[in-house]
Amino acid sequence: MATVLVVDDDRALLRALRVGLAARGHEVSVAVTGEEGLSKIALSSPEVVVLDLGLPDLDGLEVCRRVRQWSDVPVIVLSATGLEERKVAALDGGADDYVTKPFGMAELEARIRAALRHRPAEVTPGDEVITTGSLAVDFVHHQVSLDNQTVDLTAREFDLLAFLARNVGKVCTHRMILSQVWGSEYGSETEYLRVYVYRLRRKLGDPEGRLVRTAPGIGYALEPG
Amino acid sequence: MAVHPLTPGTSPSTAPVVDRRASTRRTAVAGSVLAIVLVAVLAAVLVPLRDHLNVATAALVLVVPVVAGVAVGGFAAGIVATVTGFLAYDFLFIPPYSTLSVGAAQNWTALGVYAVVMVVVARVVARLDAARAEAQYRAGSVRRLFDLSELLVRDLAVGELLETIVDAMVPAFALDGAALLLPSEDGLELVASAGRPLDREELDRLSAHSAVPVTIGRTAARQGDVQVLALEASGRAIGLLALRGPAETGSDRDLLGAFSNHLALALERSQLREQAVRARLLEEVDRLRRSLVGAVSHDLRTPLATIKVATSTLLDTGAPVGPQDAAELVGLVDAQADRLERLVSNLLDMTRIQSGALELRRRRVAVADLVDEAIALVSTAPEPAPVAVVMPSHLPDVDVDPVLVRQVLANLVDNAVRHAPESEPVTVSATLRPHGRVEVAVEDRGPGVAADERTTIFEMFNRREAGGRGGLGLAIAKAFVEAHGERIWVEDAPTGGARFCLTLPPANQDATDVVVHAAGRGAP
Repeated sequence: MATVLVVDDDRALLRALRVGLAARGHEVSVAVTGEEGLSKIALSSPEVVVLDLGLPDLDGLEVCRRVRQWSDVPVIVLSATGLEERKVAALDGGADDYVTKPFGMAELEARIRAALRHRPAEVTPGDEVITTGSLAVDFVHHQVSLDNQTVDLTAREFDLLAFLARNVGKVCTHRMILSQVWGSEYGSETEYLRVYVYRLRRKLGDPEGRLVRTAPGIGYALEPG
Repeated sequence: MAVHPLTPGTSPSTAPVVDRRASTRRTAVAGSVLAIVLVAVLAAVLVPLRDHLNVATAALVLVVPVVAGVAVGGFAAGIVATVTGFLAYDFLFIPPYSTLSVGAAQNWTALGVYAVVMVVVARVVARLDAARAEAQYRAGSVRRLFDLSELLVRDLAVGELLETIVDAMVPAFALDGAALLLPSEDGLELVASAGRPLDREELDRLSAHSAVPVTIGRTAARQGDVQVLALEASGRAIGLLALRGPAETGSDRDLLGAFSNHLALALERSQLREQAVRARLLEEVDRLRRSLVGAVSHDLRTPLATIKVATSTLLDTGAPVGPQDAAELVGLVDAQADRLERLVSNLLDMTRIQSGALELRRRRVAVADLVDEAIALVSTAPEPAPVAVVMPSHLPDVDVDPVLVRQVLANLVDNAVRHAPESEPVTVSATLRPHGRVEVAVEDRGPGVAADERTTIFEMFNRREAGGRGGLGLAIAKAFVEAHGERIWVEDAPTGGARFCLTLPPANQDATDVVVHAAGRGAP
């Protein structure tokens, strides 16, 4: 299905992931250090990178930042400590999503699928309409429809959904959303976000947050349909 | 600035205050006696010459005893001196001699002027004298307050400080006893006492729970011969000072008031400081606990991640794996389960070391056996860990707890394998050092350890996920090696990469002898 590069210093996990991802039809290559990972991204242009944050030579965050200087390849970060600030830093630094160890193959596969959907070629800010599942966001007419039924949104609600739709499948941190939708002087007012996401979910008939997913302590993501 | 030690009976500046009145009485008597003696002496000298002298000259000479008497004995002595001088003047120097009758009118004038002048002189000299004494006393008070304040700013623990101060107060204020009480959970608690202690009944009367009302305030409240002073700082009562002794003069009360204010501030300051220290300590404990939880959770999650990936792949019927891959996944699960088991027993041993409950079960073992077993521990079935072993043939046995040392070596090899490039094997070597010690080194060709991280890498709480080699494994290795009284460290490997070294103690003197003997036999 896709070419996946896994960068992790734990060889046992690499071997397990190689078998697991191959079984799901992916073409897998591996790297055990940050430098090796960077050169493999540059040489073999994988479609998705699965990157561990704790590497022996380079900080995973640093790898992420360097990759972003010349590549839009989706990066899914693996984190073992569950420390929210590291994940937020990774997402702010250009990572697309994160998975906390331990994780099952189904979860990783879902993240890889979402990341592939979010490939820049498919969704760019220039698109007039972004469709994901039964949801369509029309940027020209400022309209949102769900199952071909128009949904009435306020201007701010539309902007919020539009931002998530442009980054469909990618976890957007609170800071990213606030500064892009509310303005650059915002960044820490997460309570605004909670209120707007709550209203948005109610109007989209999504009280459980399956469409607009909460990444606890980190941000939100619009799930690809 | 000189610091005057204030222990009872050693300081002249803290002479008891009550003696002041008794000494006044003594000096008055002395002054009177001096004046009378002087009058007698001067009269004896002047009487033979009285026919050649003016009446006024004698009066002038008789001023001397009055001034001397006042200077020594104060106003009372001055009056005695004046009366004596008056009588002597009238009796001996104003004709007709040896009678108290006064002849000529001009003699009346001389006598009258003498009497008036003498009383005035006595008054003035006495006033000056009293002012000087008062100034001296005030200087003494300031000195006492200063000395006591010096005590307050010394860097002492609270308990010690309070004892010192209460001890110093007893002589400084001429008290029979002093006690300091601080509020505690059940009323007031006696924290320092000096001189005659408060008895049970007196303490009960001070206690807030007793039925006896206690009135305290800026002015001291008296209860029998005990007076109570409230110590206040920042508007709240922080303690009680109970003093036993005679009622004091006004200036003493002011001094006591000033001092109790100083004491209250010092007390509050030291209490605040103790609170700050305690808060910092709690913060540090909390930080350590959080990083321990973080470290443990990191090291537990890593093997769990492999297990979960492997099992979820095996269970996924939608994406079946071949028998060879399935076998590999099962092998991985098995190895990672072992790794988890090692981690848990490592943690338990670590806890036992820290609580002092770990007993080394030392035994004589061969280093080669320890190394082989350690490599087997970290090998991921089916293939063995990529480790090369370099071992001299005649190596003395070591005297160690084999379980712990095997764990140390396994942790080091595991760390090296994880950080070395796949194609470059890890090397484990052993060498004989002076005194029969064996040094074991685990060397890899990975990225190495920066010089400034060579100590922190062995700490349990070093930063994880920032791309270091640290982890519980190295912290545990250090703890186990140090439990043997030996050393572990990391240095640059000659081939690049990191070289972790540790020393192991020889089994006993015989063992080294055997080796030396064996080597000697090999020589021609």
